[in-house]
Amino acid sequence: MADKRVDIYLGASAMRTALGNSSETLSAMRRGEGGLRYSEEFGMYAGTAKVTLLEGFSRFESLLIEQIAEVVNQSGISLESDDVQLIISTTKGNIELLADCCDNLSERVFLYSSAERVADYFHCKKSPIIISNACISGVSAFVIAREQLCNGRCKHAIVAGCDTLCEFITSGFASFKSISDAPCKPYDTQRNGLTLGEAAAAVLLTTEPTAEGGVRVAGGAISNDANHISGPSRTGDGLYYAIRNAMQEAGVSRENIGFVNTHGTATRYNDEMESKAVAWAELDKKPLVSLKGYIGHTLGAAGVVETILCAEQLKSGAIFGTKNFSSSDTPHALQISAESQVSEGCACVKTASGFGGCNAAIVLDMGEQKGNIHTSTRKVRVAAEYTLPTSEQPFAEYIRAEFKALGESNMKFYKMSDMCKALYVSVEHLLSTEGFEETEPERRAIILANSSASLDADIAHQRIVNRHLAEGASPATFVYTLANVAAGEMAIRHKMQGDNTFFVERENSGLAEQYARSLIENNRADAVICGWCDLLAESWKVEIKLLKTDNNH
Amino acid sequence: MEQLIQELKEHLIEELNLEEITPEEIDAEAPLFGDGLGLDSIDALEIILILEKYYGVKLANSAEAKPVFYSVKSLAEYIEKNRK
Repeated sequence: MADKRVDIYLGASAMRTALGNSSETLSAMRRGEGGLRYSEEFGMYAGTAKVTLLEGFSRFESLLIEQIAEVVNQSGISLESDDVQLIISTTKGNIELLADCCDNLSERVFLYSSAERVADYFHCKKSPIIISNACISGVSAFVIAREQLCNGRCKHAIVAGCDTLCEFITSGFASFKSISDAPCKPYDTQRNGLTLGEAAAAVLLTTEPTAEGGVRVAGGAISNDANHISGPSRTGDGLYYAIRNAMQEAGVSRENIGFVNTHGTATRYNDEMESKAVAWAELDKKPLVSLKGYIGHTLGAAGVVETILCAEQLKSGAIFGTKNFSSSDTPHALQISAESQVSEGCACVKTASGFGGCNAAIVLDMGEQKGNIHTSTRKVRVAAEYTLPTSEQPFAEYIRAEFKALGESNMKFYKMSDMCKALYVSVEHLLSTEGFEETEPERRAIILANSSASLDADIAHQRIVNRHLAEGASPATFVYTLANVAAGEMAIRHKMQGDNTFFVERENSGLAEQYARSLIENNRADAVICGWCDLLAESWKVEIKLLKTDNNH
Repeated sequence: MEQLIQELKEHLIEELNLEEITPEEIDAEAPLFGDGLGLDSIDALEIILILEKYYGVKLANSAEAKPVFYSVKSLAEYIEKNRK
């Protein structure tokens, strides 16, 4: 059973960055001007965005609403319809509100709560889908949107990404010693870290072709390094898999690719890793650009902002210069220039990589349609299920006993966040009867959802920041303030290099399992761990399944 | 020096969450990274914090880090030499 082709077009878009709104951002970038300035508030260079606060809404919510409203106005698409899905990408949402409510949590710090406030503003018929997957969230959101649209779950999707800066975030990156002492210099010999930025962006994805054809999101893929939760891969294999799979899905060959827009954060190891992955994909002779020198690393917004800017570059046939770049020392030579470069080709690749070892890549294509016809024929079976029991014991005692009962001696366990420990023990049980066996690492995926994201770890980090910021935050605590890092730990433990996506929602709607099933049905994975994984203040709920292809059908 | 080594081991166990390990089990001259305690790059950043927090010692540059971070003993020697 093969269903009809589904093509997905990029429609109306809007953004707010350190350089202003869409047209201001574009014209500043064409002039080669950046928006990174020294911030006295954060004690570092940053790209801060001008926010027009809406009454009753936070900075984060106000920024998101402004962009979504612009897309709604331009396109005439109403979110009050069953056919339209809002997809929100963010790493930390309203986290700036946590500083004052560690002991008595406000519901507003929950990602689902702020997403619902934004959705309610637009009278959304469907619940918003929230993706919180560290720095790949924005690029991931397009992969998730493709799945929704291809499977007929909606006709249009608005992908919106946003993150704002506050001490929670700046102190965490500072503890990793990954902040540049000047506006960041992607790929440059002198690069010494990233510069954070604030941004929000929204874009319409639609299955209805526009009159002039336009730019399609032709393919996308997500992968994991299964190597380290904060350090980029030393080989670039994970990012390479994502690029290769996205190109395969899009049906584009190297000749079609006009340029590559990488994450290009300007940390030593990220840019090195990317040069290896791009060379592995044999795209190292293509013009390559990082936009971080103009607007900074805008976290959960980065993938959305930069994808919109990729579409602009593709349409104009010229790519922006990589600001602050002069000469490179990456392991593989790349075609980077501080000046604008000509792009010859109808398609481009946009990538991102992040904490938890995650990578994502999408292909934008404005040429003839050549993507594979979408089919969903493979059957799925539930190979195993596991629910972590509740207990009257304090969590620390309980999980320690459970871990010991497994006969384990993995020292890394004790360093993990509580949510991660709960997941670790659960996954060991889940895989105890029928593991991954002969499944290829690239074909193993982990798809999770919960309601609190990483709030339990967030509170621990915020308390350190509140108590003694002068001494610096703890990197070992901060790294777990991203929910998907728990999935990243499992990826390392069980060598899972396929899709790893973390959704956040108020209650378990089955979204994670639905997406997991679709990965198998559409031949993107052979075995997937999926389900619910939540832990907050001594209360936990882990309900997971192992899904596999059913070879007997 | 003996006392400093003992104290450092206790800080390491506490701050790096080395549960299940006692100070006696850490060989002061054995490599901290790689096998042994299974420490990684995040732990290295935490050790920098320990040096600053408890001893007011800042690492002058990252090139210095490798020999200093070799073992508990090399850390202790660096602290002795640099603390005010």
